[in-house]
Amino acid sequence: SAAVQRFLGPLLCLWALRLPAGSGATARGLDVASYRERVRAMFYHAYEHYLESAFPYDELRPLTCDGQDTWGSFSLTLIDALDTLLILGNVSEFQRVVNVLQEGVDFDIDVNASVFETNIRVVGGLLSAHLLSRKAGVQVEAGWPCSGPLLRMAEGAARKLLPAFQTPTGMPYGTVNLLHGVNPGETPVTCTAGIGTFIVEFATLSHLTGDPVFEDVARKALKALWKHRSDIGLVGNHIDVITAKWVAQDAGIGAGVDSYFEYLVKGAILLQDKELMSMFLEYNKAIKNYTKFDDWYLWVQMYKGTVSMPVFQSLEAYWPGLQSLIGDVDNAMRTFLNYYTVWKQFGGLPEFYNIPQGYTVDKREGYPLRPELIESAMYLYRATRDPTLLELGRDAVESIEKISKVDCGFATIKDLRDHRLDNRMESFFLAETIKYLYLLFDPDNFMHNDGSDFDVVVTPYGECVLSAGGYIFNTEAHPIDPAALHCCRKRKEEQWEVEDLMREFYSRKKTKKFTLKRVPDHGEGENAKDPEDASSEKGGEKRNSKKSSHSLLSCPSQSFNSKLAVLGQVFLDNT
Amino acid sequence: SCSRAKDVTMPAKLPVNFFSTRSAVIDLFRGQLDYADQLRQDSEIVLYFFYAPWCGQSIAAREEIEHVASRLSDQVLFVAVNCWWNQGKCRKQKHFFYFPVIHLYHRSFGPIEYKGPMSAVYIEKFVRRVMTPLLYISSRSKLLDFLSNYEPGVVGFFEFNASPQPPGYLTFFTSALHSLKKDYLGTIRFGVVTDKRVAEEISLVHSGSVYLHRHANTSLIYPKDIMNFTAENICKWALENREMLIRWLRPHGGKSLLLNNELKKGPALLIFIPYNPLAEIHPLLDEITKVALEYHKCNKSQAAKPDLQHGDSDSPALDSSLRDADLQFSETFPIAKYPCCNTVVLPQWHSISRTHNVCELCVNQTLGVKPNKVHVPHCNFLEIEAALDSFYLQEHTFFQVISNTIECSNFFSFYSPFSYYTACCRTVNRHFLSFISSEKTIFQTPKVAFSSHGKKDNTQFSIPHIEDRNCFIPDLNISSMNITGLSCRTNKTLNLYLLDSNLFWIYAERLGASRSTHPKEFAAIVDLKEEVHYVLDQNQSLVGPTLENFIKNFSVLYSPLKRHLVDDPSVHFQEEHVVTEVTTTTFHQTVFLSAKNVLLLYYAQWCGFCASLNHIFIQLARLLPPDSFTVARIDVTRNDLPWEFMTDRLPTILFFPHQRKEQSVKFPEDFLVNVPNLLKFILHHSSLSSSEPCTKECLHKESVLQQGHISHLEREIQKLRSEISALHQAHDQLEAQLSEARREEQRLQQQKHTLEKQHKTLQLHSEQLQATYDQKNQELLEMAEKLQELADASENLLKENALLRILVASRGGKLQSKDEIKEPLQSEQTLPEDNDISLSTATTAATAALEEKSMDNIDTIETEHSSGNRTE
Repeated sequence: SAAVQRFLGPLLCLWALRLPAGSGATARGLDVASYRERVRAMFYHAYEHYLESAFPYDELRPLTCDGQDTWGSFSLTLIDALDTLLILGNVSEFQRVVNVLQEGVDFDIDVNASVFETNIRVVGGLLSAHLLSRKAGVQVEAGWPCSGPLLRMAEGAARKLLPAFQTPTGMPYGTVNLLHGVNPGETPVTCTAGIGTFIVEFATLSHLTGDPVFEDVARKALKALWKHRSDIGLVGNHIDVITAKWVAQDAGIGAGVDSYFEYLVKGAILLQDKELMSMFLEYNKAIKNYTKFDDWYLWVQMYKGTVSMPVFQSLEAYWPGLQSLIGDVDNAMRTFLNYYTVWKQFGGLPEFYNIPQGYTVDKREGYPLRPELIESAMYLYRATRDPTLLELGRDAVESIEKISKVDCGFATIKDLRDHRLDNRMESFFLAETIKYLYLLFDPDNFMHNDGSDFDVVVTPYGECVLSAGGYIFNTEAHPIDPAALHCCRKRKEEQWEVEDLMREFYSRKKTKKFTLKRVPDHGEGENAKDPEDASSEKGGEKRNSKKSSHSLLSCPSQSFNSKLAVLGQVFLDNT
Repeated sequence: SCSRAKDVTMPAKLPVNFFSTRSAVIDLFRGQLDYADQLRQDSEIVLYFFYAPWCGQSIAAREEIEHVASRLSDQVLFVAVNCWWNQGKCRKQKHFFYFPVIHLYHRSFGPIEYKGPMSAVYIEKFVRRVMTPLLYISSRSKLLDFLSNYEPGVVGFFEFNASPQPPGYLTFFTSALHSLKKDYLGTIRFGVVTDKRVAEEISLVHSGSVYLHRHANTSLIYPKDIMNFTAENICKWALENREMLIRWLRPHGGKSLLLNNELKKGPALLIFIPYNPLAEIHPLLDEITKVALEYHKCNKSQAAKPDLQHGDSDSPALDSSLRDADLQFSETFPIAKYPCCNTVVLPQWHSISRTHNVCELCVNQTLGVKPNKVHVPHCNFLEIEAALDSFYLQEHTFFQVISNTIECSNFFSFYSPFSYYTACCRTVNRHFLSFISSEKTIFQTPKVAFSSHGKKDNTQFSIPHIEDRNCFIPDLNISSMNITGLSCRTNKTLNLYLLDSNLFWIYAERLGASRSTHPKEFAAIVDLKEEVHYVLDQNQSLVGPTLENFIKNFSVLYSPLKRHLVDDPSVHFQEEHVVTEVTTTTFHQTVFLSAKNVLLLYYAQWCGFCASLNHIFIQLARLLPPDSFTVARIDVTRNDLPWEFMTDRLPTILFFPHQRKEQSVKFPEDFLVNVPNLLKFILHHSSLSSSEPCTKECLHKESVLQQGHISHLEREIQKLRSEISALHQAHDQLEAQLSEARREEQRLQQQKHTLEKQHKTLQLHSEQLQATYDQKNQELLEMAEKLQELADASENLLKENALLRILVASRGGKLQSKDEIKEPLQSEQTLPEDNDISLSTATTAATAALEEKSMDNIDTIETEHSSGNRTE
């Protein structure tokens, strides 16, 4: 390991010194409004051609102007693009599509679907559309947000995935037949992200519908992964869900693992769950120790920690955004600036980028218009307001328009070296890439609500404050309103407690002494703890809680030098 | 099914013009690098603009280049090359990591890469520098002008008499171009003097000598005897020895440690002014540099000299004589043997500072020093720096030392075997100077030399303050303090920096400059170590005297400057929110002066854990009576607060009880943040509880409280009503759904009945069909039997026929033999004929029966088809 480090050290340093000229110092500022409109035009160019040439297939094929089914047969692009419509302000089309989906989409079909993709794209898309439908002017049921047609569809889709979780370890199969359940002879090998990327959608479903089964299976899968991490605290790429043996032992933050870490953080935020956060922080430590070199993150062997691939993957670019959510803004910005240099070299991010060689990796030269770097730019722009981040947005708009725009939509870049195009437009282009770009250029969008606006909704379960900001984007960029999770079912007991307290409040003499309830280990404490798991985790957690005096669910406040850490300037002391 | 179409790919679009055809820029959009090289032969100055058509930065810079080209196209050739297209020569030969790249050529010299801001004025300025790298200085006054500039100037003296070019001139010229390669901001200016009399002004006698002008330090002459006279060496020498009293900071936008390295050196004064590099005169800049020069003019006798503008006070000869005098003067002090001494004020965090806080560090140079051309003992700051490094490495030796005594140690330097240094440390009270000498003139420390120290050092905590010892003069008279030489008299030396507010105003805004300020002028002192910054009152215009006062106020012992707290200007106080938004300016008012209990949330918009609590605080604010409670929050990323109110984690929830505001309490971190817990927390600490007997006032309070309760209950009733109506709605909805369901059920029931009926009829039908089938089957069997019989019969007949034939034949034979005489032939022949006829009729009957059978067969097949069975 040390040898590799020594080998990489100087090369990586050189990299950091290879600085691009003059970008921060353009004479005129960026015209944010005009770029916002260009992004809007990009959306409609792709969306209208999808409707015209590809619907009801899953995806548009932009070079041949037709459609194809890719992840199932659920008009995937339409489901994925639905909430983007609302973010762009198109209420009427949102309403029309909601009706189309209710009539046209059926999950009782004999199709083998990816459990992971169906969850993030279909369940996530329907959930967010359900939660946003009131804002979009859809006539909602009286029980909304605890009931509604889109919620029922999401629940229906999620139930189709549940058979995959019936394994000895609780870790799900990667593929399930929507009609018959897991196929006999299905491979038990699933990627890590395919196991740990359910908690956001499934916990939301459980909170809204009152059926705990979704959250339970998601948690069980997360715990199984945690239990099988290596001695040095890393997880590999693929695991056998029957035997719990690691099949691919490359550990990193990118492909195959990425959204597992993302969902630990987002789950912790959404559910105020310390356990999930402590898992993430432990992983974060190991990741920093073993994979981080000069603000790059490499791939290492999960048991030994030796570098296996000195490669940056396009999918890893979500990491700075995630870091900014937990307050590690300096490190996030430093890594982001590294990644941005790769974009500047090619006009996109290659799937793999060899860091020491400074070039693409064979057979991994494509850029399917992925959103991750733009996503990070959006989060970081919220935190720093650094114009450099808008410049990335500008570069993305210019590149995508110049390189991949064709008559029928936007085509995947097959090879970044010569900008050859491929006949595919993935649904995440409309769901994520366009959405994050638009949000980057629209700082006043309701998605950025900081809590100064909110809605009050009266439900049969009581009055509810909603749309107060803090939206959690799932890994397909479908926003979930965290306030909605406190709206249904469990709410009555809390209300009665509050009512009691208020009565106390107005009585002149205090009769009771109030003692605060300790935070249970689980988010809301209702779930009984698996005794086996509890005992195995005790050691680690105790150590953790002793060491850190502050709450796990908090961010550090920014240091003084963050005032000047814009336009590429980084400061070194606060690590 | 779709595999064929999946393979469809499309090559990248062909490149097109990037610049308009009318532009003064030649656009080689197919990347014809060879042609570009050809073009270079035709022009003295060429600017290459290497771009990628998809690159946002190239697109943004295009306009700027067009602008420059329109102004300089008669003297400079502008060539744009598409260096992305993979069929083009450029892409094949060059390997750029970013775009655009600007290369300049001065005849064969180049490429000189331009790395400055992508702004037309800056680019034009740079191009002009490449066009005329050397400034011709023709007269004494021009020389004075040249030297008075704040940016370092290098003057070469070359006599052009006999030969067309004096020796070394070309080298000097090239070194000027060379410096543009290294120092792309062009801070070092190069000038050439040809007149002997003018050269004498700066003590240059021999043609071919090169002079580096410095304001606060001794000016230098290029040591030809030590270093080879090459372009690179001259450039290096000038860069290393230049003095930077005030520096432009121009972050390039990529990842960079520029500010980190500069600000770590110590407190910095950042001055933002709008700057046009092309402008002939910069009055404001001149004024600022005058202040900077004064500030750094440390030598007292020098300071007393008249204005620098007269030049002669700066001549090296005079300077060196002064130095000599100083040296003689200092000979009387024991420590003065070592001319290279520096006082090191140990940073607070440094471990030695527990026992000592000031060290005197002297390099023994008896072996290392080499007097330079102008006979000034040259103090090598690399050595001082090296000494410092090893000094910190040796820090443990100071640990046991008791303070109040001077402790001296000698060390061998790690870096130079010929010199060692002495370090004497002790604790210094700010008002008391414990060193032997306070008046001794000490070599001025050029901060520049130490900047490299900061850059190299990875352990950032060990960067010390380097101070001249004069800073501890105890009787420093503050009130009459002069700016002249202040940098050496204070222990809070400032580094001075300039920033172009056209490009970097964002830093000013971050430090609290108001967005509306016009002109964009701003000054702030940033002390990274202390994490504070001070701002020059923005109501005062940025001129020399105000700047001087600002520096003086910073330098005095009890500084009147107040830490500046940046405020979020986007929050409007008037705006009413359920949760009150607190800013730096409203903090005191809202939290401390209001007669309410205040629950304050510290948050940041980017922190995920804060944003997901919004709805809880909104609920709480709606619940609590607004006349006695304020639920407030403050975004601490945008609003600075006094230290005592700061928090290091977000979110943090503080409760300030009414009448006991100073006893704020913090919501315990290990509790779940939800409405009941927050209410309990408030109840627990609220000042409403009082056990004292009731007075009139108390009664009044009570009534107010109950009033609040009533209104709360009313709100609650309102809520319940709406809840009931929601329940009613839900009920109605359910009812509707139920009746719908019932109707549906009924319909289904009916459908079931009809289906059952249909089923029955179908069954009946099927039975009938079955019966028909059986019947037909039976018939068929019978038919088959009949056919069989027929077949048997015909077989019998055939047999009989054959028999008959044999019989006939035998009879015939017999008859022939017997009845040759008798011939009763006629009657015999008729019999076989009759037989033949009956046979043929039988065959026709059989075929008919067969046909019938096949017809039947088709029928049965048809019926069988309809019943779904396939039997043959």
